[in-house]
Amino acid sequence: MNKTLKTTALASLTVAVSLACGQGLAAGMGGAHKVMDEKVGIYKAGKPEVNPPLAPLPPMPVPPDNKITKEKVELGKILFFDPRLGGDASISCASCHDPEQGWAWAEDFSRGYPGTVHWRNSQSIINSQYMQKQFWAGAAASGEKQAPSAAKGAVAGNGEDDIMEARLALIPEYRRRFRDVFGDEWPLIGNAWKAIATFERTLVSDNTPLDAYLKGDKTALSEQQLRGKKLFEGKANCIECHNGPLASDERYYNIGVPSSRRWEEDGMAQITFRYEQYAKGVTEPMYRNVKADAGFYYRSKNAWDKGKFRTPPLRYIAYTAPYMHNGAFYTLEEVIDFYDRGGYDEEGRTTDFPENKTPLIKPLGLTDEEKEDLLAFLEAFSGDEITIDKPELPSYEPMYTKEEILEAKK
Amino acid sequence: MSQPLIKRGRQLIVASGLSLALAVSSAMAGETPEIGPLPQLKTDILKAALGKRLFFDKRLSGDAGIACASCHIPENGFAHPDALAPGYPGNKHFRNSPTLINTAHKGIWMHDGRLGTNLNDVTREMITEDYLMNMDMRLMQERLKQDPVYVRMFAEAGYGEPSNGGVRKAIPEYLKTLTSRGAPFDKGKLSRAARRGKKLFEGKAGCIACHNGPNFTDEKPHNTGVPENPDAFTDPMRHQAFLAWASFLGVENYHALKRDPGAHIQTHKADGSDMGKFMTPTLRELKYTAPYMHNGMIRTLADVVEFYNQGGGQDRNKDPLLKPLKLTGKEKKDLVAFLESLSGEPLTSKEFVWDEPYPSEYEAIADWRNVRN
Repeated sequence: MNKTLKTTALASLTVAVSLACGQGLAAGMGGAHKVMDEKVGIYKAGKPEVNPPLAPLPPMPVPPDNKITKEKVELGKILFFDPRLGGDASISCASCHDPEQGWAWAEDFSRGYPGTVHWRNSQSIINSQYMQKQFWAGAAASGEKQAPSAAKGAVAGNGEDDIMEARLALIPEYRRRFRDVFGDEWPLIGNAWKAIATFERTLVSDNTPLDAYLKGDKTALSEQQLRGKKLFEGKANCIECHNGPLASDERYYNIGVPSSRRWEEDGMAQITFRYEQYAKGVTEPMYRNVKADAGFYYRSKNAWDKGKFRTPPLRYIAYTAPYMHNGAFYTLEEVIDFYDRGGYDEEGRTTDFPENKTPLIKPLGLTDEEKEDLLAFLEAFSGDEITIDKPELPSYEPMYTKEEILEAKK
Repeated sequence: MSQPLIKRGRQLIVASGLSLALAVSSAMAGETPEIGPLPQLKTDILKAALGKRLFFDKRLSGDAGIACASCHIPENGFAHPDALAPGYPGNKHFRNSPTLINTAHKGIWMHDGRLGTNLNDVTREMITEDYLMNMDMRLMQERLKQDPVYVRMFAEAGYGEPSNGGVRKAIPEYLKTLTSRGAPFDKGKLSRAARRGKKLFEGKAGCIACHNGPNFTDEKPHNTGVPENPDAFTDPMRHQAFLAWASFLGVENYHALKRDPGAHIQTHKADGSDMGKFMTPTLRELKYTAPYMHNGMIRTLADVVEFYNQGGGQDRNKDPLLKPLKLTGKEKKDLVAFLESLSGEPLTSKEFVWDEPYPSEYEAIADWRNVRN
């Protein structure tokens, strides 16, 4: 199949699968809700809403049309590591979501397809399938939608359906596994994404000190961490957005993260920056002048959404530096300082779209001790590192012998 | 990539064999367009120079691993010496790379004739097809804009800033410069043997029934019974490209195929009587473009002549024009001599080949925050 230029259609925002997931999680969050402010399109802080409390993770939501089975998980695991699900068969899902780098990528921007670099930070796969939408601006409505988008994007996997499906057909072990799991006569690429999403639903981190504490072990958090928790829920007001079981309200905010410095000095990154504006479909004046990632704007095309990104979960963050949608900060200390300054980095830089910066972000006036307490509490969101034995990848086998070809009647 | 539901447009132009053939053949009636020199094509020097730089630039492929010239090598008559072309890294190709010399004189392209519009479309197809160059042209455009040499060359060529559209015009302009020059046939300097061969070509051997007109092709599909190249089906790296091609072009039951359907994809006849037809190739520049046939299955011109002498290969769909020719040994040599007279000077000089280095990395645009994108 061809890749051709074609400007974008807006991503459709809902599918049945995500609704089903959402219901599962909303139940786990105690049914809390916030009030939408029609005028500015942000969710208002304060009354009458109540922020859902931090909570242990509920059971993993599972879409009704993609049940979890042991065999499907096993297939998804192999596919997750298989570089043949990509353009030049050199990078797999695991290349940008490396188990040894927090199931993410430990640089500001994700590594990207060979010959390119990505333009956003790679997010961890751990707990990702609890989210109602995937990607920093929520552009995919499910894991089943995220996987092909990543495998096919020009600066990610750069694969195409027809050749990826053809490769699966030439691997007898996949033929057998797709038949057993999905009933496919020949492996269907759409089922590969279902299997990968299923594997990702098994990647859960819930053995954290915070979970132990919330389940009743009052010794699980240190005195310092308890002081941090109080700040988190009070003076620092992190809980305004980082709430519920995931420590994320899954909503979109502009918190003032400054545009990436990498675009000022890295030619390959400049290419991708312009490509994304072009591919996502912005106005000509915006293409010519924009110098920062407009985030949720690319989906909504509302000016007030420029610079908004979804609140990221705080679970597993001990393993997933750097932080923010563009990897602006390499340590949690820097993150805390950023919020303490009211959304400014140490050079005083903030978002390119300050008109959209949420009023929730303001200087916090934290003391050094309070910052340390907060940091200690943030560490309580991570448990053991999740490692994996990488699967052995099955081999290509010829579908036909030379004799079968030469002797075929024509 | 974080915007998942974008559909890259797919575009497919299948030629209508009737309306597009430049040289209408009526071989059965014994009247065929005459063979003779090709017309000269006017070219714009600056546009062609830009096209030349693009043609040899690996940054036009998805992972920047291959250029147009990787499969269309000047020393090999802008074809490739392997029976089957290399293709994109991650797979290999399932057909022979055809010469691009005189391609601007054609009206229909690809061995299966699936592109019947113009070289602008052919350029897009080659750059974007996943098993060929696998390039998202939106990303290509932005790569080109990162190279100050392209920024200058596009402007000088009158294309404005680097763009997909400019690429799709500039490469065809360059391809117009790849026109045969100095072939003994065109200069009217045939050896005695070649002259005897020409007579056979137009007479007893009947080659001219299909290989007619100045480019020696009727631009129509024919089944000549060329045996399959097993590698296209037994090497998974090649077979995957074949499967992707067949899937995309809507061939039924393509996993079970043990033959290349060829121009069947133009007509999709349910009885399969159009299976195994391939577009008549030009006979110009054969000296440089071995091996021969759509799948490179015949290594020398003598073997090609012998293949036709025996009436072609075995195939239920074989064109009835093909019959045993009963050529003598001398006649076969004469025919080869004529075929060799159709090759001109190699197009390997600086006039045709971009030989200056490309930048090893993408230079950052200075003062990025304050310049227009």
